[in-house]
Amino acid sequence: MALDDARQWLDKIRALPLTSPVRIMNVCGGHERSISMAGLRSALPDMIDLIPGPGCPVCVCPEEDIYQAIQIGLNEPDSIVVAFGDMLRVPVNVSSKSVRSLEQAKAAGADIRPIASPSEAVRIAKSEPGKTVVFFVAGFETTCAPVAGMLAEGIPDNLLLLMSGRLTWPAVAMLLDYETPSFDALIAPGHVSTVMGPEEWQFVVDRHGFPAAIAGFTPDSLLAAIYSVLRQKLDGRIFLDNCYQQVVKPHGNPTARRLIESTLTIVDAPWRGIGIIPASGLELRADYAQHNARLRFPVHAENARKNAGAMPPGCDCARVVLGRIKPVDCKLYGVSCTPRSPVGPCMVSDEGACRIWWSSGIRTRSAEHEETTCT
Amino acid sequence: MCLAIPMQIASINGSRAVCSIKGIEREVSLFLLQDEPIGIGDYVLIHVGYAIQKISAEEARSTWELLDQMLTEDAQHA
Repeated sequence: MALDDARQWLDKIRALPLTSPVRIMNVCGGHERSISMAGLRSALPDMIDLIPGPGCPVCVCPEEDIYQAIQIGLNEPDSIVVAFGDMLRVPVNVSSKSVRSLEQAKAAGADIRPIASPSEAVRIAKSEPGKTVVFFVAGFETTCAPVAGMLAEGIPDNLLLLMSGRLTWPAVAMLLDYETPSFDALIAPGHVSTVMGPEEWQFVVDRHGFPAAIAGFTPDSLLAAIYSVLRQKLDGRIFLDNCYQQVVKPHGNPTARRLIESTLTIVDAPWRGIGIIPASGLELRADYAQHNARLRFPVHAENARKNAGAMPPGCDCARVVLGRIKPVDCKLYGVSCTPRSPVGPCMVSDEGACRIWWSSGIRTRSAEHEETTCT
Repeated sequence: MCLAIPMQIASINGSRAVCSIKGIEREVSLFLLQDEPIGIGDYVLIHVGYAIQKISAEEARSTWELLDQMLTEDAQHA
């Protein structure tokens, strides 16, 4: 049934009297994955350009934070570093002889463990009372809500957090504030909105006059959102559409939002390769100071370390994240950077645009429009 | 990481629940839905071990179809 719906939305989009190109940005790795896997780019009229934007928390996690997590694992006695699996393979900018990732730190003898849920961090801390467990958290609102839940439920004294939580909307606000934004309409993220509510995206319409629609993850929901923003543009009637109403309710999940507010605080925060985005970070509130790994451990920042905070040399992940170029436009894509030996974070994470394009079989620029289609 | 998956609640014990999808069972937290009426048989969206929203059976089914398709394609290109 969903497939029939998708076909109907495609027909409706193809029937629209588009006269100029429209660039539609998504800011969610899950959306990009669905778009690429279903081959929506090749199915849609050429005039429509779907751009993956800042939708990958692993990709923008500060290089300094990853370096710090590695150093804690290597140098702090009786420490265990736990992190979501994606984070373990992201390389930092050190010489090839040094430990470059959490995975390599583990191979070098540090106790580093991948986890799939905040509950696992709690369980490990409880079962290892003599150790200090550091939970390295990179994630957007959807992930920070469960972390807030974990904190509010109560955590053991020996569990610390190294928070690299990020809010998605300030990155979109930054892109819209540029003199020449790299897109004309926004597909807003479905599960971020499930937690935070659709209201978070109202500024795109009200302040910037850009068409916006919240989408789910099935092709028909994404196509409905694409149709909505195109129609908004053609009619000159701009509004925030919710094409994922079954899941995204007004005000989102109020309990989750209350828990985020009571445990986390909003701070100015660096995005890897991009710089500081005001009020875009989620950090532990002062009441949780005794659980804050940033306050417990010295900052392992060697002044001599070259390219600290930057993307790896030659890597164009920052411009990929900003939607300024496509993954295939990076010189390293598929050459020295592949999922097997990734250079940049966008090729490491399941939510990185480079990784998604590669797993969808896209190898060159010309192949961008040659994916298998759903039609 | 922000892609949540739908599961069905099989049993509830306080703020923890056992949820299932296609014969696979997982313990999940209902803590973020503590203010919602929720019961055995309900469908919820799970992200990193936490239920973040209650959803309909129909919504759960359409997402499962999508995930199946993605897993197959992922395996083909791995």
